[in-house]
Amino acid sequence: MTDVTAWIVQAQHGDDEAFTNLVEAFQTPVYNLCYRMLGEAGAAEDAAQETFLKVYQNLGRYDRERSFPTWLLSIAAHHCIDQLRRRRFSSISIDEDEEGQTELPDRSAPDPETEIERKQEKDRLHRLLQSLDPTDRAAVVMRYWNDCSEDEIARTLHLTVPAVKSRLHRARRALATLWQEQAARSGPRRRPYESPAF
Amino acid sequence: MNHRPFDDWLLADQPLTAQQTRDLQAHLQNCPQCAALAEVNLALSSARLVPPQAGFTDRFQVRLAAQKRSVRVRNFWGFLILVVSVVSILTWLAWPVLKIVLQSPVDLLASWLSNLVALWASLQAMSHVSAVLLRVMPGFIPVSAWAVLLLAAGGCSLLWAFSLVKLTKNAQGV
Repeated sequence: MTDVTAWIVQAQHGDDEAFTNLVEAFQTPVYNLCYRMLGEAGAAEDAAQETFLKVYQNLGRYDRERSFPTWLLSIAAHHCIDQLRRRRFSSISIDEDEEGQTELPDRSAPDPETEIERKQEKDRLHRLLQSLDPTDRAAVVMRYWNDCSEDEIARTLHLTVPAVKSRLHRARRALATLWQEQAARSGPRRRPYESPAF
Repeated sequence: MNHRPFDDWLLADQPLTAQQTRDLQAHLQNCPQCAALAEVNLALSSARLVPPQAGFTDRFQVRLAAQKRSVRVRNFWGFLILVVSVVSILTWLAWPVLKIVLQSPVDLLASWLSNLVALWASLQAMSHVSAVLLRVMPGFIPVSAWAVLLLAAGGCSLLWAFSLVKLTKNAQGV
């Protein structure tokens, strides 16, 4: 029995310390999913906390045959999709709320210029993600950040595997189009695939 | 421009052959759309997980404690509302009786006591009458009537025992 399985069993029997261990172990993937989905640190913190509260309340109904991370991410993803649907018509500025949360460039890195460029690219990607449909966004985040298979994404988002494939393809194409438009506005720069490492 | 199979290669998880890599590089030089897709795919693949601010678990514990408290308070108020509702409904249903009780409690108590005494007296009278009847009746009934009565009772008992045996056998057969 792994640590996680043991903690789940203990938590299902009312051991709060075991549940705290689960929170400690899965806080980063859950928070990251919420952050990528909602686009702001405060909302992501709230959503991640709410996710763990829902998990705490429904842990008795968790089927141990299922993957716990997939079940956990499923709750987080659906919570975020609900949040996004609720605020669909209200405009939110990402810039205002990201303070203190975005990855800062590492000035001590061997090449600070590259580091700044990398940071800008990540910020740009983060903004582009916000343009996607919530379900497509969840699929992309689970695919790239949580290394979920298409099958796991399908089960998490209650979709079929072909639907996940189609959504991922469409989302990446949409991101590429926006990426291209932004690149055209910001002027010529060296492309990563042109580097010898690509 | 035909983007196939390049976009499939870009998004595939399997590593490409040397020839495929060369073909893809050549295509990317001339196709800005696939070049953007390659850049996005690379950026997504190299993106790192963003951790929450330090103390996430502590904040969760505070939130969990607050939620447990609010559930306890909600349960208490729910129980209180239920009790008040039940008491109110019972009071409303019993109001006609309660009104009388409240108006003249001594009269009502006296009436209940007198009813109890009357009931007790009736029961005693009935027991006296039954005792007298049991003592007097045998003398009035002739011996032949007793014999018929006994025979009828014996026949009924036999019939009852026979049907009982029959029913038990049928039940075992099932």
